[in-house]
Amino acid sequence: MKQTKLKRSSRQHVIIGNCIAAVSAAETLRRLNPGDSIVILGDEAVASYSRCLITYYLGDMVDKKHLFSHSEKWYEERDIKLMLSTRALKVDTKNRFVFVSAKGKKKKISYDTLLVATGSTPVFLKSFPYDPDGIIGMRNYDDAQRLKSWAKKGKKAVIIGAGFVGLKSAYGLVKHGVRVKVVELLPTVLGRMTDTEASIRVRDRLTKHELLDIELNNSVISTRRHGDKYMVTYQDGGEEEADFIVASVGVKANTDFLEGTDIEIDRIISVDDCQKTTAEDVYAAGDVCRSRHAVTRQWIYNAIWPVAAAQGRVAACNMSGQNRRYEGNIPMNSVDFYELWVTAIGDVQVEAQDIKEITFKSSGIYQKVKLRDGIPVSFMATGNVDGAGMIRGAIVGKTPWDEFIRRPQAQILPVVNQTDI
Amino acid sequence: MKAFRFIPDKCDICRKCEEACAMVCGTSEKQSGKHVPHIRICQGPQGPFLRLCKHCEDSPCVDACIVESLQRGPDGLVIQDESRCIGCFMCNMVCPHGAMKTIMSKEKAFKCTLMCGKTETPTCVYACDRGALFFEDLRAHNNRIRREKIKELPKR
Repeated sequence: MKQTKLKRSSRQHVIIGNCIAAVSAAETLRRLNPGDSIVILGDEAVASYSRCLITYYLGDMVDKKHLFSHSEKWYEERDIKLMLSTRALKVDTKNRFVFVSAKGKKKKISYDTLLVATGSTPVFLKSFPYDPDGIIGMRNYDDAQRLKSWAKKGKKAVIIGAGFVGLKSAYGLVKHGVRVKVVELLPTVLGRMTDTEASIRVRDRLTKHELLDIELNNSVISTRRHGDKYMVTYQDGGEEEADFIVASVGVKANTDFLEGTDIEIDRIISVDDCQKTTAEDVYAAGDVCRSRHAVTRQWIYNAIWPVAAAQGRVAACNMSGQNRRYEGNIPMNSVDFYELWVTAIGDVQVEAQDIKEITFKSSGIYQKVKLRDGIPVSFMATGNVDGAGMIRGAIVGKTPWDEFIRRPQAQILPVVNQTDI
Repeated sequence: MKAFRFIPDKCDICRKCEEACAMVCGTSEKQSGKHVPHIRICQGPQGPFLRLCKHCEDSPCVDACIVESLQRGPDGLVIQDESRCIGCFMCNMVCPHGAMKTIMSKEKAFKCTLMCGKTETPTCVYACDRGALFFEDLRAHNNRIRREKIKELPKR
């Protein structure tokens, strides 16, 4: 049989962004297309690092060596061209160009396929506008470095928003001896991850630390410069001085540079199951785009690490001509504060007539499962989170609860056997 | 690839496998200094069952690990770099087998990485004298079962 040599394509794949979605896409692209050229445009001055870890880095819980997951050598080994300090300014989807500013110089980069994996940035409001001297978000390595240096001289910080990042930053800052006050508009901490009971447990555990204070049902209505400090005015009329302020009230997708293109954006990029955008040969992955809810099949914004990693991989397969679809995931997260673990899987705060709840409560453990028509839809645990993944499997696999609790493995869950383990 | 096979009927929960695992590649707890095994035999209502990493092909824990502590090794096994683990327990949240050993006092999660013998018999299997735990090529085992089942089928 005559062997035909495969024609070596020499396409150029351009990836905007340099976090997990971009890195996992680049790795897959290289594996599938050994001959193609791959370019990563990162707007930061450092190579890829784990973004979830920066709050841990702030609290000196991880060192630099572990924070940076991919060294520049990693890119070299795979022949991936890494352009750092390069910000995308505009995309021309008709002629296939990305206009960038690389270290101050403007450049034009052509592409055959483009992946947008630019992630998101913190939201600032009028009452607390971005200020490089003292009001910042907590999203990248730069922010962590700045907060670390401020923590050395500052004695008091205000964190707006008691979400995941807000509490984790507070946890990190008190380790540096900074007095921290967290202000939250909602009556619970950790946003969509908890209910009232779990929120109380988390709050109690955190505020056990003498430097940490959490105030719920309150918000910041104005901030103004006061010498080299900031005066913060709260909704309940109180005023307070702070050395610096961290905003963590939410994020918005980085899509500004895509304005004026034919890419459909509804706050986040609308992609299909193949991670394709509405523009030809332009794909998106990670926090910048939507993803499917694995159970309800609705489009949701699920900005978590495993989703970004999987989306990057799926996008890369489709960019290489393979047809792959992403099956989606469910909202979930896991965190610990002073050895109190919190895991939330699925739509924890769903309230409806047809929802049945099963709870287990003891002094150290609180677990709750919500069932709809006998099928688990969410699970939340604090204290003992061992074996949480088994319920996740039941939620995604739509396993009826009666069937699930008959499995021997399920017996280790306090919510199943109703005993304190 | 080889995998673990557990026969619950033969197990009388003597915990020799756990002891051996704790001694050879277990993890020491911070407070008690006690060694904790990665293999766990639990007592269920219908008899004992095994909690151990199955090294799934589509391993959700590797995807979920935010510190790249859990990775797929060159031989297909899911391996762990314990020094990187920060104890976020994302792996525990996605593992459908509940195999992650979460050690609260250490703020880390651990799992069986077959450190004790990838090619030879693992320590826990070696320690089991009841014939309840095997480490073998499951494909051969499954084929054997299939052949037996076919024999049982009524002849037409």
